[in-house]
Amino acid sequence: MKILTVAFKNLQRKKIRTFLTIGGVAIAVAVLVSLMGFDTGYQKSLTNDIDKMGYQVLVTAKGCPYEAATLMLKGGGGLRYMEQSVFDKIAKDPRIERISPQLAATEFDKDRQNGQGGIILYMGVSNSYLELKPWSKFKSGQWFSSDDADEVIIGYEAAELEQRVAGDQIFIPNLNKVLKVVGIFERTGTQDDGIMFIPLATAQRIFDLPGKLTGIGIKLKDIGSLGDFEESLYNEPGIQVISMAQVKGTIFNLVSSSKVMTNSVAIIAILIAVIGVVNTILMSVFERTKEIGVMKAIGASRLDIFHIIWLETTLICVLGGFFGEIIAILGTSLVEHIIRQTLPYAPAGKLVIITPVLLLGSFLGAVIMGLIAGIYPAFRASSMRPVEAIRSGD
Amino acid sequence: MLKLLFSVLFLFSIYTNSFAAIGCSLDDPDRDVKRLFPESSGYLTKFITLKELGGQALQSEIEEKLGDKFDAVYEDLDVSYVYYTILKGKDPIGYIHGVNQKGKFGVLQIVIATDLKEKIISFYYQRISSPEVSKFRANEFTGQFKGLTLADFYRYNVLENKLSDGPVVKIIDYSVNSPEDFRATLRGIKKDLILLDYFLHGAGK
Repeated sequence: MKILTVAFKNLQRKKIRTFLTIGGVAIAVAVLVSLMGFDTGYQKSLTNDIDKMGYQVLVTAKGCPYEAATLMLKGGGGLRYMEQSVFDKIAKDPRIERISPQLAATEFDKDRQNGQGGIILYMGVSNSYLELKPWSKFKSGQWFSSDDADEVIIGYEAAELEQRVAGDQIFIPNLNKVLKVVGIFERTGTQDDGIMFIPLATAQRIFDLPGKLTGIGIKLKDIGSLGDFEESLYNEPGIQVISMAQVKGTIFNLVSSSKVMTNSVAIIAILIAVIGVVNTILMSVFERTKEIGVMKAIGASRLDIFHIIWLETTLICVLGGFFGEIIAILGTSLVEHIIRQTLPYAPAGKLVIITPVLLLGSFLGAVIMGLIAGIYPAFRASSMRPVEAIRSGD
Repeated sequence: MLKLLFSVLFLFSIYTNSFAAIGCSLDDPDRDVKRLFPESSGYLTKFITLKELGGQALQSEIEEKLGDKFDAVYEDLDVSYVYYTILKGKDPIGYIHGVNQKGKFGVLQIVIATDLKEKIISFYYQRISSPEVSKFRANEFTGQFKGLTLADFYRYNVLENKLSDGPVVKIIDYSVNSPEDFRATLRGIKKDLILLDYFLHGAGK
C-alpha cells in the first residue's frame, strides 16, 4: 500500500507530463476499442440487414455488375430485366419454401433533395412479399386491395421524411400517374424502410414493363440444399444467382482487407503510446537519480525501487486505459457518424458495438502494456548503485 | 465475386439516398434571395420553433387566427421555421419565409417574399406535386398574390373555404381538378403571413 502511495505521489509531481502520457495511452485505447467495436457492430448490422432481406438466394437478370453506378449515372435507368417466365419456371422447384418476384423501377424527381433532384425507387411486389418477410407489420393501413391496384405502401422512414399518411395520394410526374397510399410499414431497421412498394402488376403496367422482373427472392425449405439449388439455376440462360451467404462472405472479406489497415493504425498508435510511457518514466527515473540513491542508502531494496517504478508505469496505463474506454464510449456516435459519411454503404443499426467483454479485454490489455513497458525503466532504477546515484545526482 | 457484391449493394445503396428531409428553408438561399431581391447585398437567417416562441398556448392562438387546427404531421410544435431578413447595406428591405402545407399529392412548399410592411412582393412554390403543376406555378396564378397582406387574408375563412370581400376573393383558381391544392395554397399563405408576423413582432402581440 505504501509503495502504491509513493508511486502515485511521484506521478503527481509532474502533473502535465503525467497527464499528457495518460492522454496518449487513452487515445490509443480509444482507437483500439472503437475499431474493435466497429468490427463487431458492422458484422452484426450487415448480417442483420442481409438476414432481414428474407431470402437466401436472389436471382437477377444477367448484366452489368456495376449496376449501382450505372443506375446513378443514368439517373435511375440502366436496370436489367428478366422475363416473368423465369419466375414461373423456378417457382415449380419443390425445394423452394417461399419465392417472391420483384420489379424495381426508378423515377427522377427534380424537386427532391432541396431542389437538387433525387431518384425515387418503386418496388413492385406480390402478396408473397409478406410471406418472405413476416416481421413486416403495418404502422397504419393495410396491404393492397388487389393485385393491380393503383396503390402504394410506404416504408416507415420514407413516410416520415415525405410526411405521408395512409389515405394520401402520390403523383408520379413523368408517368402522370396518381397512386393512393394504403399503408405505412412499421420500422424494420432495414433498407425496406425507405422504399415505395406497389403491386407487381401495377408496376409492370405503369412503368411499361409487361412481364418483366428485376429480381426473385427465394427461401429454401432446407438451407443444406442451397449448393445444389444454385447449381441447377446456373444452367438457366440470362440470369445470375446471388447467394446471400456469398454476398455476406464477400463483404466481410472486403471489410477484412480494410481492417488490416485500420488495425495496423491501432497497433502503431499503441506502440507510440508504449514508447511514450517508457520515455516518460525513464526521464523521471533519470531526474530522480539522486533520490533513488538516497532511498537505497537508507534501506530501500532493489525490489522496492523496482516495484515503485513498475507501479508508476502501470498506473499510467491503467488510468489511460480507463479514460480511453470512456472516450470510446462517449465517442461512439461521432465515430458512427464519420463511418456513415465515409463508407459507400453502411448497414442500418448500430455500427459500433462496445461490449463489456471488449471493455474488459482492452482494460486488461492496457494493464499488461503497462507491466511490460515498466520493466526496463524499473530495472534501470533498481540497478543504480546508491553512492554513484547520489554523486551523479549532485 | 465483385459482380455479386455490386449487384446486391445497389439494392442497399440507392434506397438510402432516395429520401431527404423536408424543411422550410430555401433550397439555395444565395441564389433565391438574389432572385427575389436583386438589389439586396446580404441576408440574415433566423431559425425558430413554436415550442421556443410560446408552445401550445401560442399554437392555439395561431390556430384561432388561421381559422383551422394545425396538422399533426406537417405543423408540429417542433417544426423548425426559417425566415430571412433581407439587407441592403445594413438596412433591412424585406423578408422571405417559407412553410410546408399539406397538398393533395403531398407537401406544398410555399415561399413568400414581403416588404418591411409584410406585403407580399413575390410568391412561389418551392415544391409542389400535382398533375396541374404548370398552372399553379404560372406567373398568371402566383402574380395574383402580389400586394396582398395578412389583413387581406384574415377575410378568408380557411375552414369553411369562404371568402368575404377584399382582394383575396378575386384570386382565380386556374386549375381544373385541383381545388384542394388551391385551398391549401390559400391556407398555406395565410399561415405563412401569420407566422412571419409572430416571428418578427413576437408572441402575445
